[in-house]
Amino acid sequence: MPFPALSENDLARLGMEVPLARVDKSLAELWENDSAKTRASLINFAIYTESASDLSRNMELLEAITAEHACRALLILNLPDAPAPNARAFINALCRPYQGQQVVCSEQVAFILEQATPQAVQNIVFAHLDSDLPLIVLWQGTLTRNFDERLYSHIDTLIVDSSLWQNPAIELSALTTALESETADFDVRDLSWTRSHFLRTSLATCFQDARALEHLPAITQIEITHASEHRMAALLLGAWIAQRLGGTPSSNLTFPRANGPSIQFTLTSVSTGPSLQKLHLTGPNVQIQISRHSDSRFVQVCTSCPNHKTQEIYPADVETDAELIGEQLSRAGGRTLYSSLIPQLRELLK
Amino acid sequence: MENPFQETLIQKNRAEPCSVVIFGATGDLTHRKLIPALYNIAACGDLPPQFKVVGFARREKSDDVFRSELETANKKHSRQAHTQELWSGFSQSIHYHQSEFQDVEGYKALGRLLDQFDVERGTTANRLFYLASAPEFFKPILEHLKAAGLHVPPQGKWARVVCEKPFGKDLATARGLNEAVANTFAEKDTYRIDHYLGKETAQNIMVLRFANSIFEPNWNSRYIDHIQITCAENLGMEGGRGGYYDTAGALRDMVQNHLFQLLSLVAMEPPTDLSADAVRDEKVKVIRSLRPLIGPNAVGQNVIRAQYTTGSVDGVARPGYRQEDRVNPESQTEAYVALRLFVDTWRWQGVPFYIRVGKQLPKKATEISVHFKRPPQVPFATSKLIDNSENTLVIRIQPDEGMALRILCKQPGQALSMQPVKMDFRYSSSFGKASPEAYERLLLDAMAGDATLFARRDEVENAWKFIDEIQAAWHKSDTPPPMCEYPAGSWGPKEADQLLAQNGHEWRLL
Repeated sequence: MPFPALSENDLARLGMEVPLARVDKSLAELWENDSAKTRASLINFAIYTESASDLSRNMELLEAITAEHACRALLILNLPDAPAPNARAFINALCRPYQGQQVVCSEQVAFILEQATPQAVQNIVFAHLDSDLPLIVLWQGTLTRNFDERLYSHIDTLIVDSSLWQNPAIELSALTTALESETADFDVRDLSWTRSHFLRTSLATCFQDARALEHLPAITQIEITHASEHRMAALLLGAWIAQRLGGTPSSNLTFPRANGPSIQFTLTSVSTGPSLQKLHLTGPNVQIQISRHSDSRFVQVCTSCPNHKTQEIYPADVETDAELIGEQLSRAGGRTLYSSLIPQLRELLK
Repeated sequence: MENPFQETLIQKNRAEPCSVVIFGATGDLTHRKLIPALYNIAACGDLPPQFKVVGFARREKSDDVFRSELETANKKHSRQAHTQELWSGFSQSIHYHQSEFQDVEGYKALGRLLDQFDVERGTTANRLFYLASAPEFFKPILEHLKAAGLHVPPQGKWARVVCEKPFGKDLATARGLNEAVANTFAEKDTYRIDHYLGKETAQNIMVLRFANSIFEPNWNSRYIDHIQITCAENLGMEGGRGGYYDTAGALRDMVQNHLFQLLSLVAMEPPTDLSADAVRDEKVKVIRSLRPLIGPNAVGQNVIRAQYTTGSVDGVARPGYRQEDRVNPESQTEAYVALRLFVDTWRWQGVPFYIRVGKQLPKKATEISVHFKRPPQVPFATSKLIDNSENTLVIRIQPDEGMALRILCKQPGQALSMQPVKMDFRYSSSFGKASPEAYERLLLDAMAGDATLFARRDEVENAWKFIDEIQAAWHKSDTPPPMCEYPAGSWGPKEADQLLAQNGHEWRLL
């Protein structure tokens, strides 16, 4: 029984099964007889997962991503606990309409690997990249097992979602080790950090006004309300704000400042709703409240300090994985703020 | 003290808190472009806090009626979906101010309204005045802004003016307008809009040239044979546009501004940095280096003007230019113009730049094509070479924005015959996400104080200086070059083909 966790329907959705050695040739044949289809590719986008039950969800994720980002899409399902080594490959074209008569397509290659070592993953998968294009990997598995130097030394951008980590402190440690490796030169993006992008932009916009800005050093409390599974997004946001205010994160959620009072950080977890629902900064004479209702695409931003009261709405952060990854793919490369926050985050998680 | 959260904002220009006053607010531009652009800026979260828009126009109407009209227009023209939640907040920032453009009291009342907004904000705000009215009102609007003291920014703030095209109709009127602007606003606060510069593909020209090491070393007279810039329209004078167009013509309406801007971007030297003045310094040098066309002979030899006669476009019968609505039946206005220009610089010595623009052509397309010189062909002397086999780089400005590079390949088979093949890049197939509209980018830049994508005074005046000589040869000479003709739906007059044939060239078939 080769794929105990996979249904025939799941396998059929992966496309046409081809021998590993014929993947590239079969991809070329996809285009030969159909002049209405245009192949487009700007990146190699790979999803690495060790969860067979996520196969269907990942197929939908790739369809959504290729609708806006032309790429060679690679879906790598590795089943390390399978009884014997095995590898199968499937190819497909993910197409979207373009100018009425034509369709633009991204190539998808899915690999189902059993008992694959990092070296086997590297050999099989990296032999099928679209050459000269950057490799962006969404790593859904734990970083502590197969996230090996032989793999990450080929990656240009690594996307993780720390909200899925069972033990964030250990995963962050593995990530730090990888980032410090001599052969690694990848940029890391965390979807938990992306979940606060527009919220951070709204906060920054509040302090574009000099009257609000002058009260900023007086802020002594940061309160964040978050959905229960998104504590990491809240921690990251809090760590960033505290760092910007000159505070030093500590595990008791009090951030001492060299020049001024300490900042108290409070997290409130709720069972439903958007990942980040409320951010409240308070201090003597100053209050900033950014709040989001469950059914809204916008956040309400209220600023209140002497001689300055405003109420504005700004776009809320996107929520689905496809939207979050789309946000990341739309941005230029380079080291992100996130990398600089990892030490603070590790301190908070102690 | 700096905003410590600003690092999250650095990826793009940020607008500063301001009030935008649109003169001519009941016009088409406001409804189709400006309000949808501001709405989309808001939808992206880029509109500054406590933002206000004031529509200044002559017709009597209330804020509510104005907002309702704009809502209808926004639903139709907005790039992003119109959502009630955003519109209800955004629309509260929109106000209407009724006044004649020449009534100083109306400007004083506008000043009181802006002051009232400042009181509501609890602080003074920056002010952006957008001249979207008919051009004959630009000067009185500027004079009255000054008379009402609105040109002076509040302490520590700025007051800027955005001028829509056309910026003058010749050098004299452009200078007059520039003087009027200069009497009211400093040059650094003056933003002359050319929406072509807000297009992604126009902005990409500099990236293509200066960020890719394969192009810039070949971007000169040693490797480039000639360059063509085409702006074709498949429409005529529909919707009453003949009234304006017949007073302007293709040369003034398109070449002096949009096409000269594209020419500048293609021919400019690398700027020392990407500051507004560094880029514009290099662009203006191109216009100043254009070999002058003085007198009817020089103009006749290098410029072809034409009007379309009856014909058909896409199978639909079209009238001739002189039969169009609101066009003078004896009009001497060109609906098509083709130019052969030379940029007299070290880089471009001897390279012809061909520009053509016209109405009622077979399709709508704006593009730049760079035609490279053929290699010596020595190794392939006996092989069969097809015509027009030079390497060509095509930059498509609109529609179907993108680039294509034509190269030669060996055709499969025993014989050594070559075939051109095209490597094609399309924005919309590679980047599924829609680009911001040109007006979104330009409005945001004006609010953020970045004038890179706006024309500077010397650019505008030098362009008019060049254009005026052609106009003089056409309209003030005793022996004007002829007005040629082409059937609607064709690619222009045969004389334009002959213009290129003199140099052994031909127009690219779009």
